[in-house]
Amino acid sequence: MDKLIDDEMLVAQFQAGRQNAFDELMKRYKSKIFSYLLRSVRNYEDAEDITIEVFFKAYRALENWQPKAKFSTWLYKIAANLVIDYHRAKARHPVYALEDMEIPEANLVATDQYSNPVKELEEKELGRIIRDAVDQLSPKQKAVFILNRYEGLQLKEVAETLGMAEGTVKIHLHRAMKRLQTILNPLWENNEL
Amino acid sequence: MPKCIKSEGQAIDYASKLLPTAEAEAFEQHLKHCSDCNTAVESFSKVLNLTDMAEKEVTLPEAALRDIEMNVYKRLAATQEEPRFPRVRAFLANLEVLFQWHKTAAASTLVIAMITAAVLFVEFYQPEVELQLAESQSADARIERYLQQDIQRHLDDAMITHHLRNDAWETESHLQRVKEHAQSTNWMKVPQTLSFNKTTNDLAKGY
Repeated sequence: MDKLIDDEMLVAQFQAGRQNAFDELMKRYKSKIFSYLLRSVRNYEDAEDITIEVFFKAYRALENWQPKAKFSTWLYKIAANLVIDYHRAKARHPVYALEDMEIPEANLVATDQYSNPVKELEEKELGRIIRDAVDQLSPKQKAVFILNRYEGLQLKEVAETLGMAEGTVKIHLHRAMKRLQTILNPLWENNEL
Repeated sequence: MPKCIKSEGQAIDYASKLLPTAEAEAFEQHLKHCSDCNTAVESFSKVLNLTDMAEKEVTLPEAALRDIEMNVYKRLAATQEEPRFPRVRAFLANLEVLFQWHKTAAASTLVIAMITAAVLFVEFYQPEVELQLAESQSADARIERYLQQDIQRHLDDAMITHHLRNDAWETESHLQRVKEHAQSTNWMKVPQTLSFNKTTNDLAKGY
């Protein structure tokens, strides 16, 4: 609750002409937005570009922003819309790269790296398989799953962010879970996971 | 797949910790004696554990995060510099460059262009004509008026011919024209009073 008031106070200060308030808002949310975008687009550079675009749009719109929802929900909404645009553009103009465009391995380090290279490699491979499974979800299922599971948004907030009814969000979440179960179940039954 | 009457959705919600406390407690009671639901909850929990573990590995590079603020402000600065009408401004800029090198030629071209425009304007400018017609008489009234004037003229001619030239044949000819013109008008009575069989003197008297 304090966070909500704080965010609103910062927005009010920004609207009153104090530019530093926006720096504070960026400091608070840049990691969250970046991680959400990285999970959504699976591309480091694109995630960075979209994060910049999110704060750019937020800065331009913040002057007339009314606190109807939490500031963070509004920010995620901008990000979610940009992710939709990104996937649409990518579908229209697919880029064929020589290498598979995914998160650089350097960014997927285990905490105890180099302690056991074989185990580390296995974990990396396991992580890749599971992330591939998440990527096989439909865009809406994936968005709901990521926002709820990893960004910690309540179903109501997810609904506001994605412009859906709360019941619809729950349906997407259930379908996502069942789909993941269908994809991953054979793997752990064969002891691959 | 659970054959239990409890929905699979409830197992998912329980595993995802989305059930309200009262519902969660009731479902836990149900789990104590339902193997189907236990299996489902176990399966979904495993899915969640695996995906959580995989996604937690995604760490954000500090350098990129550090630069976010700077890049946002760079983006804002670039947008503020963007002109509102880039094409028009580019066109004007091109003109400016052209004018820098050929100022006299450009000025002359401009003057010629203005004169041409003025001439063309005068040539092709046609102000809208407003016809302001005075209210006129009806067509029938005007025809009647001209008919009367004609009859009057022929009658005058007949009188002149009769009195001055004493030409009976010519007088009768004029009276015949009067009769023709006076068809279906009030003037019919004039030629009727006159007889072609009468002499020109009688005609003059009758008139």
